[in-house]
Amino acid sequence: MSHLRGFYLLVAAALLLPLIFPDNYYVTVVGVTAALHAILAVSLNLLMGYAGQISLGHAGFFGIGAYASAILTTRYGWNPWPAMLFGLVLTGVVAFTLGRPILRLKGHYLAMATLGLGIIINILLVQTGSLTGGPDGLGGIPTLSLFGWAVDSDLRWYTVIVSVLLAVVWLVLNIINSRSGRALRALHGSEVAAEMMGINTTTTKTGVFVLAALIASLAGSLFAHQQAFVSPDSFSFFFSIELVTMVVLGGMASTYGAIMGAIILTFLPELLVVFEDFEVLIFGAILMSMMIFLPQGLFVGMQKLWRRVATEESRRGAA
Amino acid sequence: MALLEVHGLSKSFGGVTAIADLDFGVPEGQVYSVIGPNGAGKTTLFNMLCGIYSPDEGSIRFLDREIIGRLPHQVAELGVSRTFQNLQMFFNMSVLDNVKVGCHLRTRGRIWSNALRLPGTRREEKQAERWAREAILFCGLDDYLESHADALPYGVLKRLEIARALAASPRLLLMDEPAAGLNDTETKQMRSLIRQISGTGITVLLVEHNMGLVMDVSDRILVIDYGSRLAEGPPEAIQNDPRVIEAYLGGEIEYAV
Repeated sequence: MSHLRGFYLLVAAALLLPLIFPDNYYVTVVGVTAALHAILAVSLNLLMGYAGQISLGHAGFFGIGAYASAILTTRYGWNPWPAMLFGLVLTGVVAFTLGRPILRLKGHYLAMATLGLGIIINILLVQTGSLTGGPDGLGGIPTLSLFGWAVDSDLRWYTVIVSVLLAVVWLVLNIINSRSGRALRALHGSEVAAEMMGINTTTTKTGVFVLAALIASLAGSLFAHQQAFVSPDSFSFFFSIELVTMVVLGGMASTYGAIMGAIILTFLPELLVVFEDFEVLIFGAILMSMMIFLPQGLFVGMQKLWRRVATEESRRGAA
Repeated sequence: MALLEVHGLSKSFGGVTAIADLDFGVPEGQVYSVIGPNGAGKTTLFNMLCGIYSPDEGSIRFLDREIIGRLPHQVAELGVSRTFQNLQMFFNMSVLDNVKVGCHLRTRGRIWSNALRLPGTRREEKQAERWAREAILFCGLDDYLESHADALPYGVLKRLEIARALAASPRLLLMDEPAAGLNDTETKQMRSLIRQISGTGITVLLVEHNMGLVMDVSDRILVIDYGSRLAEGPPEAIQNDPRVIEAYLGGEIEYAV
């Protein structure tokens, strides 16, 4: 199917990388973090890029998933899988009950409300110390195991998290190129016209908010088991902003753009370490110039450039 | 019985009366036009007919079901579709996808079946594509099929809005100033498009300022002024009605201060 052409490339790259570079730090360690970030960016992009509903609190749902897994497995001795499921249910309930009133807001007001939501979740994680371990975090989280196959090496974590990423991307691409996805994009284009075409904008907004939150929660659970340790810092307001940056950097309303944004924002700091004190400065300068020269985002911008070059080539060929 | 029946409809914003005790009926299969000077309440009327505003008083019955109290998407479910005076395009989508959104109510696929690309979804996608292409062809937009909506000229967008509305296969199509901003050639095309739409049996309710167009395509015309009915009848009767001429050309203007 045509809308999955890029997806097969992604699958090929994901398979080939660890085969060509086994035990490479950038593939099996940084690569796993990038894949985890990509899951989050793709889910946020569904909400922000496609449906046009900004969220500055996405890290909150990531945190709910992570802490549900961490607390239930360490303090209550649950098996990781039901703990993960519990995290998803909890996230779903929170996102549904808060999403309905919050999503009545638009633009800056929606940004403010989601910002507040993310901060509240973060404060709860810090303040309920007896449960969450407070600012010190919670360690000793057991690893996942699938029918006796324990996920206990970098390469195995790569397999698990990249597989989840590919599954999420496949689902999201299918949604975008179907009736429900068109409803999301219509919502972004014109709410009143979407309503007149029979789209219930209220339930559609709540639905995509819950879906994005669920994907983030799943990523959170995986993160907790992979790191074996969680602390509130990983789910702060700053991380929410970083996720928004990934989406905008790659290009809004492009799933591949979100993945690209996640990869760049994960790798760039790693590569800039050589500049030591100037690392953050150069990082900021790169982000700024990317947005100045490709304001539609890296992936979307390059796509358009490529298309323009291609049409000019064909025109010249015809002449 | 008329397809759409409006009785005792009133709406005011703050102290300003937009529509006052309005009665009219749109017979099935006709092109019914609503005209009136600027600020007469035409757009307010339209917004009440499709559930965007709720009136202070009165009733709007479509196919003998009450529209008041329903949300716009619920009104759309009854078989009402519309176009907008100021374009409400999905500029983030292609022409084909814009029109496919129009097929929303004719398909049922839920998000999980869409996400897993189940056979039902595949079937529906093909069906939606067929319907959308039909509507695009009908409105003469086949050249723009794959174009992005934000790259199209105004006149094309006006027809694209109609194609999107037609893809919903409505019983009643509300058209809010379809010829506004169009040049002579485009207006002529719009005239024949409205006739074609009416020819398929869809009832058209038209709000338009271009009198030539209105007189040409309408079966009946309702003239409103200050939110109330000034005259109603076939085009010939309206053209010769002294009250209408006065309202439009001024006569002795009395400003309500």
